Amino acid sequence: MTAFLKLLQALPTTLLITIISISIGFVIATIVALLRIYKVSVLTQIASAYVTFIRGTPMLMHLFLIYFGLPPIIDAIAKKFQLGFTSTSIPLIVFVCFSFSLTAGGYMSEVIRAGILAINRGQIEAAYSLGMTTAQALRRIVFPQALAVSLPNLSNSFIGIMHGTTLAFTLSITEILGQANIVASTNWKFFEAFIAAALLFWGITIFVEKLTAVLEKRINKYNRGGVA
Amino acid sequence: MITITNITKSFGNTEVLKGIDLKVEKGDVVVILGPSGSGKTTLLRCINYLEKPNDGEISIGEFTMNCKHPNKQGILTLRKKTAMVFQNYNLFKHKTVIENVMEGLMIVQKKSKEVARQISLQMLEKVGLANKLDAFPSQLSGGQQQRVGIARALALNPEVILFDEPTSALDPELVGEVLEVIRNIAMEGITMIVVTHEMGFAREVSNHVVFMDAGVVVEEGKPHEIFGSPREERTKQFLKRITSNHIA
Repeated sequence: MTAFLKLLQALPTTLLITIISISIGFVIATIVALLRIYKVSVLTQIASAYVTFIRGTPMLMHLFLIYFGLPPIIDAIAKKFQLGFTSTSIPLIVFVCFSFSLTAGGYMSEVIRAGILAINRGQIEAAYSLGMTTAQALRRIVFPQALAVSLPNLSNSFIGIMHGTTLAFTLSITEILGQANIVASTNWKFFEAFIAAALLFWGITIFVEKLTAVLEKRINKYNRGGVA
Repeated sequence: MITITNITKSFGNTEVLKGIDLKVEKGDVVVILGPSGSGKTTLLRCINYLEKPNDGEISIGEFTMNCKHPNKQGILTLRKKTAMVFQNYNLFKHKTVIENVMEGLMIVQKKSKEVARQISLQMLEKVGLANKLDAFPSQLSGGQQQRVGIARALALNPEVILFDEPTSALDPELVGEVLEVIRNIAMEGITMIVVTHEMGFAREVSNHVVFMDAGVVVEEGKPHEIFGSPREERTKQFLKRITSNHIA
């Protein structure tokens, strides 16, 4: 029980990394999905390469590549433009969030692409026929429907990334699993500590599932059919 | 006031429109007939630029679009001057009946919500759906959905409304209510181009009939000419087959 309470201290870190990564990932994913759907020259190839690389390599490796690869680049740029800071002044968690955003973006771009492609062509044609621009048609007509279609898979991504945040412990970020390790190493009750961590993760997951169910019900109201 | 000149369109190697000319005066109700594959739907979609013609010219009022060198602004202008009623209705699934009609008014014509709502109400009354304002499309019958589609087109007050087989996806029972609505707005003097297989309706409502086959206009004229005494063999064949089907 005390272990559980101590783990709660790490909960904000886990949630922070998850929510930031999912949010930035969502933006990346939407851009990547649109680039690929509209086959924007050159950029579509870059987007495809990004997706296949992210999905083709482990999440832990993205973390290491960013953690070891990015600081020298930042230092070089800072030095060249004499910005007066070094990569060591950037908090570790920023690298973690950056890396996981890239991971999330790669996976979610396929979810969003599928969501957009699932929308009947007639919907966007109707929008065009009224005189809407592509941006208006996407924003007003396609995205709301695509989001509704993608919701179950997006919640899946959220849960996946949340569980993936445990990898941040390898960079000595104390998220929930890291905290469990620390707690256990002080009292040698490893099993209890990990059970507590597992329950905590499971608890958040159940919360996310419930939240998705509520959102889904509300957002899909229009699909219910029947007589008004 | 609508002039279509030498429109051509190919899908890959298949030439679907082989140089179509068409003139439509203000207030005209033009019906396009023809067997499937004749290119009539493609022609309609070209006028709204849902299909990109390979060549030709489309003029509506003062505005002329050269289809060989289209530009984005031109396409938008063309689309704002036209409205389309689709075979499969294509109502916005996530919006209610009144929101469907308001959408174009607010987003494209930048009208305020109140004004858009007012116009939409009038249009929905016109098509007999004032009691379904807050229903979603999935809660409506096909006939009701198509009537919303007509209201959505009508609300924008376009120079011409294009009807793409508006009753082809409907149960036979529901065809009547949609044709009734189209007939009423035809009498209001709204310019329309209608692709349909409803021969009785075509004959009654139109004042100009175009018969297309294999990507060309085979014959055109007044309804009594085309239906009563067609000149071309191909037209005769088509009408004979259609009418005998109807009796059977």
